[in-house]
Amino acid sequence: MARKMLVDEEMNQTNQEEAHYDFDLFVIGAGSGGVRAARFSANYGAKVGICELPFHPISSEVIGGVGGTCVIRGCVPKKILVYGAAFGSELEDARNYGWELNEKLAFNWKKLLHKKTDEIIRLNGIYKRLLSNAGVKLFEGEGKIVGPNEVEVTQLDGTKLSYSAKHILIATGSRAHRPPIPGQELGITSDEALSLEDLPKHAVVLGGGYIAVEFASIWRGLGANVDLFFRKELPLRGFDDEMRAVVARNLERRGINLHPQTNLTELIKTDNGIKVTTDHGEELIADVVLFATGRLPNSKRLNLEAVGVELDNTGAVKVDEYSRTSIPSVWAVGDVTNRMNLTPVALMEGTCFAASKTVFGKEPSKPDYSHVPCAVFSIPPLSVVGLSEEQAIEQANGDVLVFTSTFNPMKNTVSGRQEKTVMKLVVDAETDKVLGASMCGPDAPEIMQAAFKNEGIAVALKCGATKAQFDSTVGIHPSAAEEFVTMRSVSRRITCRGKPKTNL
Amino acid sequence: MATTSFTAPKLSSPTFQTLCRNFPLSLPIPKTLSSFSFHLSPFLSRFHLHHHHYHPPRFHPRRLFAVRAESENGAEPIRHYDFDLFTIGAGSGGVRASRFAANFGASVAVCELPFSTISSETTGGVGGTCVLRGCVPKKLMVYASKYSHEFDESNGFGWKYDTEPKHDWSTLMANKNAELQRLTGIYKNILNKAGVTLIEGRGKIVDPHTVDVDGKLYTARNILISVGGRPFIPDIPGREYAIDSDAALDLPSKPEKVAIVGGGYIALEFAGIFNGLTSEVHVFIRQKRVLRGFDEEIRDFVGEQMALRGIQFHTEESPQAIVKSADGSLSLKTNKGTIEGFSHIMFATGRRPNTKNLGLESVGVKINKNGAIEVDEYSRTTVPSIWAVGDVTDRINLTPVALMEGAALAKTLFQNEPTKPDYRAVPSAVFSQPPIGQVGLTEEQAIKEYGDIDVYTANFRPLKATLSGLPDRVFMKLIVCAKTNKVIGLHMCGEDSAEIAQGFAVAVKAGLTKADFDATVGIHPTSAEEFVTMRSPTRKIRQSSESQGNMGHEAKTAAGV
Repeated sequence: MARKMLVDEEMNQTNQEEAHYDFDLFVIGAGSGGVRAARFSANYGAKVGICELPFHPISSEVIGGVGGTCVIRGCVPKKILVYGAAFGSELEDARNYGWELNEKLAFNWKKLLHKKTDEIIRLNGIYKRLLSNAGVKLFEGEGKIVGPNEVEVTQLDGTKLSYSAKHILIATGSRAHRPPIPGQELGITSDEALSLEDLPKHAVVLGGGYIAVEFASIWRGLGANVDLFFRKELPLRGFDDEMRAVVARNLERRGINLHPQTNLTELIKTDNGIKVTTDHGEELIADVVLFATGRLPNSKRLNLEAVGVELDNTGAVKVDEYSRTSIPSVWAVGDVTNRMNLTPVALMEGTCFAASKTVFGKEPSKPDYSHVPCAVFSIPPLSVVGLSEEQAIEQANGDVLVFTSTFNPMKNTVSGRQEKTVMKLVVDAETDKVLGASMCGPDAPEIMQAAFKNEGIAVALKCGATKAQFDSTVGIHPSAAEEFVTMRSVSRRITCRGKPKTNL
Repeated sequence: MATTSFTAPKLSSPTFQTLCRNFPLSLPIPKTLSSFSFHLSPFLSRFHLHHHHYHPPRFHPRRLFAVRAESENGAEPIRHYDFDLFTIGAGSGGVRASRFAANFGASVAVCELPFSTISSETTGGVGGTCVLRGCVPKKLMVYASKYSHEFDESNGFGWKYDTEPKHDWSTLMANKNAELQRLTGIYKNILNKAGVTLIEGRGKIVDPHTVDVDGKLYTARNILISVGGRPFIPDIPGREYAIDSDAALDLPSKPEKVAIVGGGYIALEFAGIFNGLTSEVHVFIRQKRVLRGFDEEIRDFVGEQMALRGIQFHTEESPQAIVKSADGSLSLKTNKGTIEGFSHIMFATGRRPNTKNLGLESVGVKINKNGAIEVDEYSRTTVPSIWAVGDVTDRINLTPVALMEGAALAKTLFQNEPTKPDYRAVPSAVFSQPPIGQVGLTEEQAIKEYGDIDVYTANFRPLKATLSGLPDRVFMKLIVCAKTNKVIGLHMCGEDSAEIAQGFAVAVKAGLTKADFDATVGIHPTSAEEFVTMRSPTRKIRQSSESQGNMGHEAKTAAGV
């Protein structure tokens, strides 16, 4: 039945080829993927509209902001807090280098928060300008799909606008979710954690993913007591097991209390704070409880089912490899599709969408999900690209070689910090191809960015790295090194003419 | 990092156990192996050499091994030597060559002058320039000095200092020197464990197969000269008041106001160090801009950024004399005038190879006009049994290059594998503040060599600076050959540049196979160089179900070699 419908739609579209639409493209959601797709489509000459919820650091069904999760509630504010927190240990390390500092250093959380918010507001403005400079029309309000080629935007004052569009792109992202335990309303998610009034004295973090680990590092670095609870034996499920153990050891050495294979069962408000109970029967008192137990796609209020856009059982919009949904004129990119939920991936998906010949560009272009590097901004950070040792063993036909190096970073030789850096390469023994690389230690994300993709190059030895390979590499975000793979436009071209040509 | 790659047998015992598990060879384990190197290849080659004590090189070109050929032909009686290899100078290149040669089964001795932080005709120390008077102490000082910038940055992130952080010079020097002592000890240990005989004293070549160390004679089939270089101060009046980089790394107290003469990387690094440790810093350069030979845009950028951090540059100003005043302060007289009141004047005006008093002329080893030993592509001097690696040959004067030359030589001499060091796309870093990382060609070189190129640049304010409020920026540059689309140059100036360029050096050099990683020279000292110095697998995992197919592949590979 669904298939039949799809065919009908396509036929309708052909018939309406010359029909007039208000927009060539209407994008719902102005986060990383949406802004990228809107901007690039406009650059291809399309008439583009985009809608986004009003700005606020804490998101909800009716609150968002141009810039999206990455800029307002994710990568950027998170990394700012990591910078702030990392100074804690940095400054301790200064003493053995001869610096005389007070016993206890003063840290002003409100100042950091204030500056963080200023920066986010600045970036929100930059994103808006990017859109208007590209000629994209921005609407503030909640977008909804009312037909395969029709969207409705409910503005702040309640008035509704209705527009027709040749293509509709859903880029509404995702939101943190809370586990259904008694007292869950006493806990917070990462949104609130990035905007807390006061620095927690004792924080409890539930979750073993990268968000949990990052906030544990941030609060510990700023002096809080932190207890981290997670279901598995080690945090960071899905990453290389050896590296997971390294991260766990580092977190522990830096004073975070790890509670593996432990869940929270109940939160109760008391006079001293929140009483947290675990499934092992332990009880703790905390002033902040963070749920970092996953995120869910923002697909509920878009009216998707009504128009026939299919969702999977997690609520993610189902798309084909060109980001097309089950309705041919409706597309989706970014976290709402729950493919690989990273900003640079959403950018890649947005770029491919705009460049696709089915839409505005000239060539069919699929996002390429192989060798996408990523980083965990724990303190110290972890960064990986390619396969973990476990994945490599599972996927390889032949032998896998593993190279590891564990060393004391030079800075620690004088500072006296007891923390090793660990690096790892997983190599296909037969082809000598590096299947995966990981590093845990200072600057890991900056360094791993360089591990670019060379899929499909049989004898890489002879061919050297081309710019195209740099371009096809997904950035580690936010790092400085990602600049190397996102420099799209040539600053200048120097052409030397009049040189004698030879046959060779 | 190469320092730490020497500091400790990084591969711990599980590594070795895994190896044994995977290679259930019932072998007596050589002592040197179990104690130091768990790397696979030396392991196998040692085993190999256990049975065949010495392989004469079997490869062409013949001329290279004329001496050997003669003795094989029996034209000359086989002579007994005390050592297969005698190395003069236990710095990066010498230690690497000696250690690898010993691992390949050769009997090896190395001589080195007694330890001192200041080098001279009579002092040196195991570890050499890199460990004692170069990369390592320099980078430790960079770490120390970077803190003043970090204090400023941290203000923007909410950290506060009731009193301005003060720096205690003597704590830094004591901790730095303790680390150098530790490292020189580790280097001695490495030599010892590899079975290399270490002789303290000054080596001098007596004849093509004999070295004199303080009056005692040693014979060797091959002699390696790896005595490095030393700072050079031009002959101007008052030069006795000037210090060089050796002294600058081990000053008894903080210089209040320092003049640095020179625009090369050493000058810039020390400018950053002293500036960060709150000295007043003046840099005098002959040209309009710093870092001659680097990419022009990088030269401009780093100069601007350093000036923003408070370093005063005096361009096109050459020193003519140093005068000591009655109050003990120093004045620097230049072509433009005289600047007074310096507590220290440092010259970073180049380095010269340590080729004096080595007996080179008498034995016929040819030296070029800069005093560097002339060598062929295999590091062989004009005397067939004498070889030279590292700064004394003045090729590319970087620790990782000396390591590469030393390793290549050990292979050439003792593993039947004539190996030329590969100087293409050697990455390098300047640990100025901000630092520079680069690999491949500068824009200027690229234009000359390829003609049509595309240049990609980015000049941005990093996220950290938007919060700190400091004027820090990052500059990046890619140079692309228009015809082939190959990236032929990569340059960066800004935080973490060295770490980052190292990673990309792999990409610039080639693709991403492990062989490419191994062939890339490290940027020293970074963490990232670890990725290109991991020589042997920690473990090999075998898919037993695939064993037949694997056997076939292995056989093919072996035949292909």
